[in-house]
Amino acid sequence: MSVELQQHERVRAWFAGAHHDELPEADQQRYLDLLDGFLARIGKDPDELVAFCFLRKKDTGERFLSQKRRVEVNEMIDGWVVANGWTEKDAVRMANVVRGFLTHNGVLIQGKVWTKG
Amino acid sequence: MEFKQVVGTRRTTRFFEPNKPVERAKIQAILEAANRCSRSVNADYAKAVVCYRDEMDPEVLEAMKTPTTTVQYDLAPVAIYWFGDTEFHVGAEGRLKHLFDLGALAPTHGWSHSYVEEVAYPQVVEGIAKDPVLGPWMVNVETGLAMCQAMLAAVDEGLGVALSAYNFALGKEILKVPDTWIPMWVMLVGYSAEGDAGGQRPRNPLSANYFEGQVGNPFNEDPAVTQQLRDAGMIQESMEGREAQRRQQIRELADRFGLPL
Repeated sequence: MSVELQQHERVRAWFAGAHHDELPEADQQRYLDLLDGFLARIGKDPDELVAFCFLRKKDTGERFLSQKRRVEVNEMIDGWVVANGWTEKDAVRMANVVRGFLTHNGVLIQGKVWTKG
Repeated sequence: MEFKQVVGTRRTTRFFEPNKPVERAKIQAILEAANRCSRSVNADYAKAVVCYRDEMDPEVLEAMKTPTTTVQYDLAPVAIYWFGDTEFHVGAEGRLKHLFDLGALAPTHGWSHSYVEEVAYPQVVEGIAKDPVLGPWMVNVETGLAMCQAMLAAVDEGLGVALSAYNFALGKEILKVPDTWIPMWVMLVGYSAEGDAGGQRPRNPLSANYFEGQVGNPFNEDPAVTQQLRDAGMIQESMEGREAQRRQQIRELADRFGLPL
């Protein structure tokens, strides 16, 4: 799955934009595994996850980034973090890996910041 | 810090030291700089509310964010919300007369009490204030001057600053802002966690935007003066050409704060 995921256009956009593709292979694999784990939990592929964040206006059909959907995605991320038992800084960091993927695919989604040192 | 160095060092800080408080004395210096800015009719256009992140309800803090007000809002220990007062004309007649009495406005330039009473106040100041386009334009320009001076004062105090949008409607309610104040930006203030933030942001040469005599006749720089400004710190090393270093710095900051990349 990981190799297939790595070749996915949206994952490649993320890796290129964040320069993750310049990291040692083990670090790249860690990012892929995290995204893979999240996608498996919510039962979506990368395209479906990005598409979920957008809706169309009823009157014009115009596509827009939905705040409601981003709240839902944040809830999915929170659930995934809890299910994995991550706490403290790990909880923030792992959740933001998924947000990094979304960011590089046009979804500005905000999460927590670790400020405790 | 020398003035030219202050101007050259200012840039939008996006990574603040979240747990290093800003001394109240420095906030006072920032506000006093705004208070001392150039301002027409000696009016108090600029209003500000200073808020301390750690004293704000986390839910309110979250709700104040907009799509462009992101992590810097969580990191900055201080947020100064700026407003422009559309009631700037109130008391202007008395202030202009006072400036005349002090000699700031002089008869050599046509000023007198009767000019203030019959022309300057009723025809100019009040006219502008009541005009739906000119009034807000005046408020925006004048408040912007105060905010700029405040930012430079912050840099002079060794702080980082960033202007940002926020949820105006919620801000009005939470900060108890009168209807007559126009919301401007929130100025985030704190100690920078990103050093020189990768260098100075790219700018066009003066000739691209500044002219002599008429538009189309570019103001060309004197290379010797440019060098002097470089030596004085107004022109600093650009971000351009340092992208790899900056990327590494962002990666380190992302790791420190657990941020997305």
